[in-house]
Amino acid sequence: MSEATAPAARGATHTARHAATARHRSLLRPLLLAAVLVVLLLAPLYVEEFWLRTGFAVFGAIVGAIGLNLLVGTTGQLSLAHAFFLAVGAISYVYVSGESGGLGTTTLGGLGWPPLVGMVVGVLLAGLAGLVFSPIAARLRGIYLGVASLGLVFIGQHVLNTWTSVTGGFNGRSAPDFSLFGFTFANDNPLLFIAGVPFREAERLWYLGLVLALAAYLFARNLLRSRPGRALQTLRDSEVAASVMGVDVQRYKGRVFLVSSMYAGLSGVLYALSIGSVAPESFGLEVSIQYLAMIVLGGLGSVGGAAFGALFVSALPLVFQRYADALPLVSSPGQGGLNAGEVARYLYGAAVVLVIMFEPAGLAGLAGRFRRRGRDPGGGRATRSSSASTDPSTSSVPSDRPAQGSTT
Amino acid sequence: MTAAREVDEPTRSDIPPVEVDGVSVRFGAITALSDVSFTVAPGTIHAVIGPNGAGKSTMFNVLSGVYQAAEGQVRFGDARLDRMRPYQIAGIGVARAFQNIALSGTQSVAENLMLGRHHLTKAGFIAAGLRLPRATREGKRHGERVAEIAEFLELGDKLQTPVGVLSYGDQKRVEVARALCTEPRLLLLDEPVAGMNAEETTRMAEAIREIRSALGISIVLVEHDMGMVMSLADRVTVLDFGRRIADGTPAEVQSDPEVIRAYLGSGDEINPSDAAAGHPSETPGTRP
Repeated sequence: MSEATAPAARGATHTARHAATARHRSLLRPLLLAAVLVVLLLAPLYVEEFWLRTGFAVFGAIVGAIGLNLLVGTTGQLSLAHAFFLAVGAISYVYVSGESGGLGTTTLGGLGWPPLVGMVVGVLLAGLAGLVFSPIAARLRGIYLGVASLGLVFIGQHVLNTWTSVTGGFNGRSAPDFSLFGFTFANDNPLLFIAGVPFREAERLWYLGLVLALAAYLFARNLLRSRPGRALQTLRDSEVAASVMGVDVQRYKGRVFLVSSMYAGLSGVLYALSIGSVAPESFGLEVSIQYLAMIVLGGLGSVGGAAFGALFVSALPLVFQRYADALPLVSSPGQGGLNAGEVARYLYGAAVVLVIMFEPAGLAGLAGRFRRRGRDPGGGRATRSSSASTDPSTSSVPSDRPAQGSTT
Repeated sequence: MTAAREVDEPTRSDIPPVEVDGVSVRFGAITALSDVSFTVAPGTIHAVIGPNGAGKSTMFNVLSGVYQAAEGQVRFGDARLDRMRPYQIAGIGVARAFQNIALSGTQSVAENLMLGRHHLTKAGFIAAGLRLPRATREGKRHGERVAEIAEFLELGDKLQTPVGVLSYGDQKRVEVARALCTEPRLLLLDEPVAGMNAEETTRMAEAIREIRSALGISIVLVEHDMGMVMSLADRVTVLDFGRRIADGTPAEVQSDPEVIRAYLGSGDEINPSDAAAGHPSETPGTRP
């Protein structure tokens, strides 16, 4: 029972949190939030390993999606380089915290520093990479930045494949277990039982992911509700208006690119921990597209939406894989037919199309619509129909998106 | 801003004149402004008028730093506006309300107005993201001032409403309020009553008068509504085809033959007073 509700509950947290931005705050919401948080905290006691591992992967994706959404959804700057920054974070982590040693004919370098240092360095180096690119990011707008950032993915692929001593080359290299001041996030050392449940790697990582995703969420939400966030949202809507109101547009575009790449760096570290290894194929253009799919599905500009989208896109293939036998059309690895990853891609591909056509504000917009309807029946509907172009839930789409204009 | 209605403050000493001196703007082969000069005396309402395409909006874009002047200078006290970037110009107290509303429709009125406090506040990415006490305090303090300004423009009860669902007239008021939130010394209003109905226009004109008398700041106004310009402005500059064709008090400008020709065309015998009768004289068909 709790198995099945865990991912759904996780999604509910974020919708509910996003709801807090609504004008009228009820007492119900904080209570609901607390309940969901309790469920997430207790999950490892009841839920089996597969779901915990999926959960950790989702937490990592949430961090990355929130970061990309700050850039694309909030600021209206398209980036296809997210996979590159994920790679920088992941590779930095495995290099800084990994041990040097030989693997077949190749010799791998590694600093063997504590994993926490590796994680911080991963975030900082991804940030540095973002900083190096930010002069370009600051001068380009929307789709043009998207095209320019594409180059980074290809550079990244080349480096990953050829800089063998650091990246492990084509085959990749394994990621060291995480540990925090002597407490390892692995199966033992120390052995740990809580309420009779053995707390092994999956349980421990679950909490690590939960804490980091929550921190990433809160930081982004705070940011959006304050001075820098307002500046970013205004420069998405009109760069001229933002600059005339005193916002240094280039500086802010550069800054948000930096922040976004640091989010990606952290997400990359979590990815390495989740898979247990890093390989070039994990950081291709397709990954950038997946992240874009997450934020479009979730709702551009909405922090909670990004988290919801990340849940959907990153968990779907894993779930399909697990239930490959039970699902029609889906086959187990090694057999003919569609594999789980492909099916998941078809599904969220279709979902993206549907969202763009019918609810450009994404899942967050959908949630908002339900909230409005719940509050005063018919009220939400009236606002929508009376001012289609100025409706708050649809006009959050950056002008570069073809969403509304092409469908109406 | 309760002081607003009590006294007509004398002109503030910290408000220098705006001197536009021989400004030309070109876009490729097209000259949008050619050798335009005028001076906005401190604490006055100065209107810039002219037929469509006369260069009024270009002039505004030069004043706020969005366009670069090819020649000439724009001085605001010691500052050379023609050499500054838009955000720097905002930083020295020049605010602008846009003609075609440039607000963030998804954000509430309060959030849009808070953007006006941008150059007066400091919270950066880290302070804001971590909700450091100084960022929270700063936000709260400026929020109070924003509420005052909203009250002044009769937006007090709409602070939490998303701008996108407000009426057109209210959105225009939010534009003006946002500009005021920067605590300007010079306020640029780009067609503040364009598209408004008569009642909304009256309210806006009243608000502009109150802004001037309460704050003692200079206001430069681009406007089509002649009735409003003539009743509100202390001085009027008239542009036509990028050139200044007249500059003077409303009465002087109204009887200037060049102005009448620019607005009504030459050859037709039309009573000059029609130009000031309060009709927007640029609706299609009124210009032969």
